Amino acid sequence: MEIPTETQPEVESLNKLMKKTLISVVLAGVAFALYQNFSLMPGYEGLNVGLSNYIIESGLKDTGSLNLITAVLYDYRAFDSLGESTVIFGAVSGIVLILSRKMLPVSSKGLSFIVKRTLGIMTPFIALFGLYVITHGHLTPGGGFQGGVILAAISIIFSIVYGSAFDYRRYSPQTKTALETGGALTFLGLGLAGIFMEGAFLHNLGFLTAETGTLISAGSIPYINIGVGFKVGAGLAIIFYSMIQKTFEEDF
Amino acid sequence: MFTNLVFIILFMIGFYALVMKTNLIKNVIGLNLMEAAVFFWVISFSDIGGEVAIHKMGEEMTKFNDPVPQALTLTGIVIGASTAALLLTLIIELNKFSGTIDREKIEGLND
Amino acid sequence: MAVLEIILVVFLVFSALMAVRFDEELISIIFLSIFSLILTALYLLHKAADVALAEAVIGAGLNTAIFMSAISQIRHGDSD
Repeated sequence: MEIPTETQPEVESLNKLMKKTLISVVLAGVAFALYQNFSLMPGYEGLNVGLSNYIIESGLKDTGSLNLITAVLYDYRAFDSLGESTVIFGAVSGIVLILSRKMLPVSSKGLSFIVKRTLGIMTPFIALFGLYVITHGHLTPGGGFQGGVILAAISIIFSIVYGSAFDYRRYSPQTKTALETGGALTFLGLGLAGIFMEGAFLHNLGFLTAETGTLISAGSIPYINIGVGFKVGAGLAIIFYSMIQKTFEEDF
Repeated sequence: MFTNLVFIILFMIGFYALVMKTNLIKNVIGLNLMEAAVFFWVISFSDIGGEVAIHKMGEEMTKFNDPVPQALTLTGIVIGASTAALLLTLIIELNKFSGTIDREKIEGLND
Repeated sequence: MAVLEIILVVFLVFSALMAVRFDEELISIIFLSIFSLILTALYLLHKAADVALAEAVIGAGLNTAIFMSAISQIRHGDSD
């Protein structure tokens, strides 16, 4: 379309109006289609939920994990969690590749003294809570993913409050990379151990099972939790660190 | 019924932001809203009035909510965060070359 | 369940509308964070504790930090 816009402003505004009308029609059509789609759908009781009933009934007996969601994530569908870790690894690789900058610390002064002291008192408790969420994933709500993000929040706090040079000194990118690789290798190693000992990839290791409800129970689920927690935490910390580096260059 | 209506409203808000807004960051926010709408729908749809799907020590099993949709939603939330970070990284790089984040003003994309 | 859920859903839709409405990115991100917090309460109301924990940590915490670090290094209007 060749419209000389300088000479005919009313044509351009008409064009824009037509575009808006068309998009509104599309939006209304999508909304109507969604509404019609839901009117055809059965309720949850009408669905075939044999798999869910099986997991609810015998999940505790099969895996020894009190938390059934952790049992699904790290035992029944552990392969999906491995794929999810791979997706996070791909995102981290892409971000680091795109934002590849010098690995030198570019620091800001950080926030004021009061904030630094307060966060200095609070940060160990945040770390403790993150470790609690990771290690008690099979007993209480939580697990590797949530606890890992809480651990990544510590790195974010260091970068914002104390300046990114502090974060670089405490947890350098090499340390984070080593932690992420270690977590992924723990996950894969437990999966391979499942092949050799139980006959299937990522099968729950039977000889690690202890009394249900104790901290070290539920087979290999706590160890997979720890691996996934460090992998996710270090990966998200790397994402934030590579996104923030350029930010404080003016304050330097 | 109520859940479906809320899902449609939230999804259409996100879709509106994705289609009509020309600011690229607003588009990422719209994507996040659409994701959140789907997750809310899945959780709310699979709620059959049971308890949290965690056994309690020393108690008999009661009626639980379905753990499978919750596990899938958990997976989706984490992936959504990493894809949002990747999209924002691409926007930062685009901004470095073109100096704008308005998608109608980026040269070379629209004719 | 009914009354509390309706109130929370009204605030949810309101914060989603506000996140889309404003042109300033900072206000949108703050409202997105509020959206995630209300969604956390709704997940807890629907007895999905793990999902609520994940949404609180990721949606309200990490996403906000990542969005902030993105908009802090975007320069407006250099080559217009």
